[in-house]
Amino acid sequence: MNRGSWTAALLLAVAFHVPRATLHAQAQAQAAAQAPAAPDTMAFYKALDLEASGKYRDAAPLFRSALHTTAAVNALLGLERVYAELGWSDSLLKPLDTLIAAAPREETYRTVQLRTLQSLGRDADLRAAFERWAHDQPTSSAPYREYARLLMQRNQITAADSVLARAKQSLGTTKDLQLEVAQARAAQGEWVESANAWREALRSADYLEQAAAYALAPTPSATRQQVRDVFLAPPIEVPARRALSDLETSWGSAADGWTALKDLPPDSISAEAWSEFAKRAEADERWTLARDALESALKWKRTPALALRAATAALNVGDAAAAMRLAPMADAHGDSTLAAREYLPVQARALAALGRPADAERLVAAYDRFLAPGARASLTRTIAWGWVRTGDMAHARAALAENGVEGDSSDAAGWLALYDGNLKTARTLLRGGTESSPELALALGLIARLKVDSSAAIGQAFLALARGDSAGAAAQLVQAADRTPGGRSLLLATAAQIQLARKNDVEATALWKRIIVSDPDTPEAPEAELEWARSLHRAGDTAGATTHLEHLILTYPQSALVPQARRELDALKAATPSV
Amino acid sequence: MSMYKLNKFKQALGAAARRALFVAAGLLAVGAPAALAQKLLVPMDDAQQNHLKAYGLTYNAIKAGASAEWLLNYRGGSFLLSDTPDLRRQAALAGITVEPIDNAKVADIRTEIAANNMEAVPLEKAPKIAVYTPPDALPWDDAVTLALKYAGIEYTPIYDDEVERGDLSKYDWLHLHHEDFTGQLNKFYLTYRDVPWFIDLLQKNTATAKRLGFANIPALKKDVAEKIREFVERGGFLFAMCGATETLELAIAARNVDIAQSFIDGTPMDPDADKKLDWSRTLAFRDAHLEQSPFVNSMSDIDGHQVNAAGRQQPLGTFTLFNFSAKFDPVASMLVQDHRAVINDFYGVTTSFNKAVLKPADIVLASEEGAPWVKYIHGDYGKGTWTYYGGHDPEDPRHQIGNPPTDLSLFKNSPGYRLILNNVLFPAAKKKPLKT
Repeated sequence: MNRGSWTAALLLAVAFHVPRATLHAQAQAQAAAQAPAAPDTMAFYKALDLEASGKYRDAAPLFRSALHTTAAVNALLGLERVYAELGWSDSLLKPLDTLIAAAPREETYRTVQLRTLQSLGRDADLRAAFERWAHDQPTSSAPYREYARLLMQRNQITAADSVLARAKQSLGTTKDLQLEVAQARAAQGEWVESANAWREALRSADYLEQAAAYALAPTPSATRQQVRDVFLAPPIEVPARRALSDLETSWGSAADGWTALKDLPPDSISAEAWSEFAKRAEADERWTLARDALESALKWKRTPALALRAATAALNVGDAAAAMRLAPMADAHGDSTLAAREYLPVQARALAALGRPADAERLVAAYDRFLAPGARASLTRTIAWGWVRTGDMAHARAALAENGVEGDSSDAAGWLALYDGNLKTARTLLRGGTESSPELALALGLIARLKVDSSAAIGQAFLALARGDSAGAAAQLVQAADRTPGGRSLLLATAAQIQLARKNDVEATALWKRIIVSDPDTPEAPEAELEWARSLHRAGDTAGATTHLEHLILTYPQSALVPQARRELDALKAATPSV
Repeated sequence: MSMYKLNKFKQALGAAARRALFVAAGLLAVGAPAALAQKLLVPMDDAQQNHLKAYGLTYNAIKAGASAEWLLNYRGGSFLLSDTPDLRRQAALAGITVEPIDNAKVADIRTEIAANNMEAVPLEKAPKIAVYTPPDALPWDDAVTLALKYAGIEYTPIYDDEVERGDLSKYDWLHLHHEDFTGQLNKFYLTYRDVPWFIDLLQKNTATAKRLGFANIPALKKDVAEKIREFVERGGFLFAMCGATETLELAIAARNVDIAQSFIDGTPMDPDADKKLDWSRTLAFRDAHLEQSPFVNSMSDIDGHQVNAAGRQQPLGTFTLFNFSAKFDPVASMLVQDHRAVINDFYGVTTSFNKAVLKPADIVLASEEGAPWVKYIHGDYGKGTWTYYGGHDPEDPRHQIGNPPTDLSLFKNSPGYRLILNNVLFPAAKKKPLKT
């Protein structure tokens, strides 16, 4: 066995299962290490030192002599390692025969024997060694476990499964072999059976959650619900639910990942699961899920750090009232520096979002002397944003003016310029800003491509969007389209995009039609055609969708959307499998 | 665009759009931007953007009555089709590369063909295709149905009921894939006996056997195998892959011998089964030896790779297509048309065929250099022909049960899949005697 395969074997042993005998041997070794070495184990410790310094040839005879001492089990493992390094693994077989004859119930000897025979490629002898072990210890699951694992390592899944089936016959149960059963079933594509076995295995080994999620990740979509049902079935068990949560996330549905966790009974273990889930959701900017998970964790035990995270998540999903409730200024317990640093930004943002910029202004002023300079500028922008939301642009401008030059060149100033219809200034400031958000992407995507430098209607559209009036924003963009001939298709496409986000396919379709008819030579025309086809497909009109995709391909052969249209056309005609 | 679709599209756009669309449709109708040439060359070398759909274009052109020729060894086995607006449209929709050429260019091509190991074979009639496949979805897929669906070639799924009532005579071309004609359900009993899909498979096959008057599944499958043999003998074209190749032969050879293990029919295999096999009736193999153990997932020594038999499995390599004389051996040439001569091998229940069990008349189309097995074979039988292609899925070399099916839009230039589609088209080229 070379170093790589030895490492793999070792990792497998550590990751999955440490046989009882080995644990016993480890305990023995630890005790021996703490006590003065008995004369008969001196050779073993000297061998360990030689092995550590890479002197395998010198270590081998010492390990071999230690096989006849109380450190025999560890000496054998050492001998296995150094022989593997030297390429002498076949020399291990004779000592193994002697050791097994002397101690037939020692599982480590048997396991090493199987490993050695496998590494030497002696399949018939491997099988025979397994048979002997199973014969000598008819009530032990160890022979089946170790042999099945070796077969699975070599991707001989069917053979491993036969061994497990035999274990069931011989032992009457595979209760102690659930991990191996789970792996074998997953490797054979028996996803539901694998899920059942994983759930059983997780009861006694909760550290296998990630292994379970990894093994079940390739489950085809048609079978996923059955796998879900296995993990969701009562009773509620935290390891099973955590495994399912990981699995759902790997399947691309973090929301279902939360569904797996939200019913856990409130206790410290569940709170930890919720907090960890929230951490991942925060990293992925899935704020609704993060908020729900953090609020659940808070119900078990309230800590300032969790409360602040929950408030931030609430703010990011637009629930300002919840944010104010979750992280009140009072939580700073009179520590003004802490209040200014941690709680004031949350409260100011929430007040601005609730349309109470004057309150935010007063609150910021109250903590003014505790604020770092950068923090103040950020809070000023927050207040300006609050004024924008109330439609008071004069106040917004005045708030930004307090920041002086920095205020004039900030992202917020870029937004104000955009709301004023000053596209030229907005283009410069927003492009060079530090902010990153879907709204910015939408705005930049539009104004960067328009040739006009000012448009009050476009400014009004984005102002409406900032105030949460998406229908008004779409209507304003359509109005702007009529006054902006060069950018008409782009403005209509943006309006359609907003209508689509509002799930108003009827309005969106009307806009796509307009683009295709009025501006068939623009890049937006194939885009409109593709979106129209998708909308029809969602509505169940396969024929209509097909017609539009075909029209796109034939009419705009140079469009970058043609390969995608072909893929979707194939899917509609069931020419490609739906996975 | 068909008039029906055009009308629907016009309605959808509304009156305001009609003028604009009329112009677009009018342009298409005259083959915009270029006027129609005399022929469309469908190149099958590296210039082709979508090799697999090119077969569908050609098949459907023949089916629609258009003239078509297969230019063997010319630019990867190109097709020469009549230039029609509909073909151009189909090619554009599918992303198939076509080159409009005039008569002068056609003459140049014919001159080049005449002077080299090339041939132009007229394709006359689109074969009627049947795929022998169970009506219920099983946790594995079939490369041929994937290829046919992706290429847009129509086929009819048939199974035991249809074969037993004589429906094979309705088709020119029959495909078999994963079926175990020894009736042992691929020995999946060994590992899947408690799995719902296997239990369902077992129950349905048993019920079919009883309904059709057979004692058990092996008896039914042997009879189906016999009818398939007769189909070929009468002039049918058979294309089989994976386990169907090996088990069809075993079932035919074992017409009067019990080769099934007791788990499936209640009686053990005849201890002298090996000696009693009648290889004179089989299509491709002879003198193979049965796997006697019910616990070894292998049927016989026909397969060289033995993928499911622990300790016997052989590694995958590459296989090389043979180069035949296009003028003197057009059938074999058609079957190996490809833009790649060396192709990565792929496992199946039966991956390859040991040379030792091939009949002397078998034509080897592809093999692995230095290996004792071959990959792709062909031969005549009675008035028909058979072709066997080992392995399960050319683009998923280690396809496992439960794996998702291969999305061929990601493998549209697959040389391994091209071999399957060569088989679909080659019956169109051969004038075959009428079946009785």
